[in-house]
Amino acid sequence: MSKKILIVDDERDIVETLAFMLKQKGYECIAAYDGEEGLKLAKEEAPDLIILDVMMPKINGYKICRLLKFDTKYKEIPIIMVTARGQAQDIQIGEETGADEYITKPFEFNELFDTVQKYVGE
Amino acid sequence: MAKIFVISKDEEFKSLASKFSSESRFIDYNNKDTFDFIEEIKNFRPDIIIVDSAYDSYENFIKLGKTASNDENIQMVLALHDEDKNIDCMSYVDGIIKFPIDEDILKTILNSHMKTKRSFDKLADNNKELSKSLYQINALYNTSSQFAGTLNKDDLCNIMLEGLNRILSFDIASVLILGQNKSAVLHINSLCEISKTLMHALKMRLTLKYNNSFEDEKIPFEVDFRKIKIVEKTKPSSNIYDLKILNYNTLFAPIKVGDNFFGVIEIIKKEPFSSEDVTCFQTIVHQVALPLRSATLYEEIKETNIKLEKLEKIKSEFVSVVSHELRTPLTPINNSLEIVLSGQAGEISDDTKNFINMAKRNVIRLSGIIEDLLDLSRVQTGKLEYKFKKMNIKPSIDLVCQTFKQSAQEKNINFEENIEDDLGEYYIDNRRIEQILSNIISNALKFTSEKGYIKVTTKKNARPDDRLVSPVKILDNNYLKISIEDSGVGIKEEDIPKIFDKFSQVESSLARNTGGIGLGLTITKQLLDTHFGLVSVESEKDKGSVFNIYIPNYSQEINFRMELNKTILKAPNLGLIYIRQEKDCNFIQKLEEKNIIKKTQNSMEITIPQGNYEHYFIYIPRLEDSALNFIQTNIEQEIKNLKTNSENCNILLETATKTDMKKLESIIGTLDELGDKNE
Repeated sequence: MSKKILIVDDERDIVETLAFMLKQKGYECIAAYDGEEGLKLAKEEAPDLIILDVMMPKINGYKICRLLKFDTKYKEIPIIMVTARGQAQDIQIGEETGADEYITKPFEFNELFDTVQKYVGE
Repeated sequence: MAKIFVISKDEEFKSLASKFSSESRFIDYNNKDTFDFIEEIKNFRPDIIIVDSAYDSYENFIKLGKTASNDENIQMVLALHDEDKNIDCMSYVDGIIKFPIDEDILKTILNSHMKTKRSFDKLADNNKELSKSLYQINALYNTSSQFAGTLNKDDLCNIMLEGLNRILSFDIASVLILGQNKSAVLHINSLCEISKTLMHALKMRLTLKYNNSFEDEKIPFEVDFRKIKIVEKTKPSSNIYDLKILNYNTLFAPIKVGDNFFGVIEIIKKEPFSSEDVTCFQTIVHQVALPLRSATLYEEIKETNIKLEKLEKIKSEFVSVVSHELRTPLTPINNSLEIVLSGQAGEISDDTKNFINMAKRNVIRLSGIIEDLLDLSRVQTGKLEYKFKKMNIKPSIDLVCQTFKQSAQEKNINFEENIEDDLGEYYIDNRRIEQILSNIISNALKFTSEKGYIKVTTKKNARPDDRLVSPVKILDNNYLKISIEDSGVGIKEEDIPKIFDKFSQVESSLARNTGGIGLGLTITKQLLDTHFGLVSVESEKDKGSVFNIYIPNYSQEINFRMELNKTILKAPNLGLIYIRQEKDCNFIQKLEEKNIIKKTQNSMEITIPQGNYEHYFIYIPRLEDSALNFIQTNIEQEIKNLKTNSENCNILLETATKTDMKKLESIIGTLDELGDKNE
């Protein structure tokens, strides 16, 4: 069965392109467009990996990451944070919240894909 | 024992008198006249003068005694022979002794006069001391009150030195005032010119003394000996001070407030310093320290301000350059996408088309953001050009609504228009008005989610909220109100005042809601300001927001104002009355005569623009109370006259300050009423 990836980002264009590419590579993709929905799907759908944006309406990415990583039920799900906030300080915050990877926008798809494979590769 | 001067021919009396005096002089009738007497008294300076009434013209000596000696306290004693003698110079006499002279009585009398003399002398001395202290206190007071008048270090230093000179009359005073970056200014005030070696020595000495005043502690502000600038003030004289003067008496003190050092001062004087001198010196030096601190702070603030202004300018220019550079590569990107999309570069699948469209959409979005940045930097650097014209505003509103209606439908948002048909003409730059509306409506669209609504409503002849303060007093208070209401996320109450600030969205960092960098409203506000428009915001979190835009019904005066602003900026003291007809010049003249408007020394021309204007702009500068009466009787009448003479004229009244406007209003009644009455 193909691995399931949850993409949480309020930028529909980004979600759409990522989903398209990941589907081509044989992954199953589900999407959420704000923090609240993202958290809900993460819990309901039990994805194999989450690609998480930071700046989002309702609940920001850091918070979602922390909520999941501190919950024994979900802490095993790998989380890749994707954000335009590329300052060293922001990366540090991301790491402290327990994200497995931290990728800054704009990124090459291959870079993200390599990281995804690291966690849910065949 | 007293010094006694005896004018008598009685040898027995003279020898008796000399017995009771420390020193005595006698005058001989034959070769002494009054002129010699004066000379002798001046040289001898007696305590008591005894005049024998048997002596010829003895009265002259009595009358002259006190003046000749230049000593008010000298005791004049008259030795009387004949009791019945009629004496007309009694008021000049301090005591009388009668012949025949008794030795004991003479002794007692001389003793008592001597005591009187000494007491008077002491009193005079005390008086002198007192008046000196009074003078010093006066000088002190004067000096300290002068300190308050300036924030310039050099001026403060000069005031201090002048004050010290008045009080202490020094020979040389040298002050070292610390500057920035180890620099310092050495002020030297001297009674005479000073030699080069002495100058060098003073510089060295003060720097050393400054360093030594910290003993073993660390010196807070180091002074570089080479960075000392000398300001010398000497009086031209034949005498030149050299190194010897350093052997005179000196007073030295640091100038400081708490631990803050501003400099050191030393004064050199030939005569010794009294304890009062030292107190005065310390007081003045202590008092100069506080204003010096303010002056130092003021200098720092001024410098920071200049730096900030430069920085702001660099930033604006940077933004402008970068934005231009960003725009350039966007063009070929857009073109390439266009080519692929058109199929000219080969057939494309639906998916490809979809993604290329997505790319195009984002290129357009990026261009928008860059445009915003460019606009902002143009607005801030004053490079944005406006094309004001009197025109119907409705097409602009319709155009913007049309544009957004479609996007609203796509987002499943109900877009409602409630725009009156005859909105009338306004003095506007239609492109900017469209920009203002687009910014606000696009925000509404951005922050409203599906199934919400956006409502655009207009209202003619609206009055803005009292809380909105227009920079211009618009008499009729008549605006076109355009309201944009949405059912979006709303704005927190505490955030409302901030939304017109630059990058306000960026600041609220993580709680990002939608795209954009938060420049739209900043630009909107600036554009609206140029139209003399106003904007108010009502909002409730999670319920929605209403943005009310007010555009003044007049607007031709914007033109006036721009002209006027240019002129007023050149001569801020000059008041202007903007007038239309030649006869109105009399009005200006009248105001000038009454000193309500003044021409400054840098005289300027009042240019009265040609043309048939419908508006009057009356600018009243500083209102003085004396002018208020005149205004009460005249301006009211004049405004009424103007109103009756020309139909539909608008009057714009502006004063330099808000208080002045209030005063004016209280006199004339509210100006709005005045306008209404005549319409």
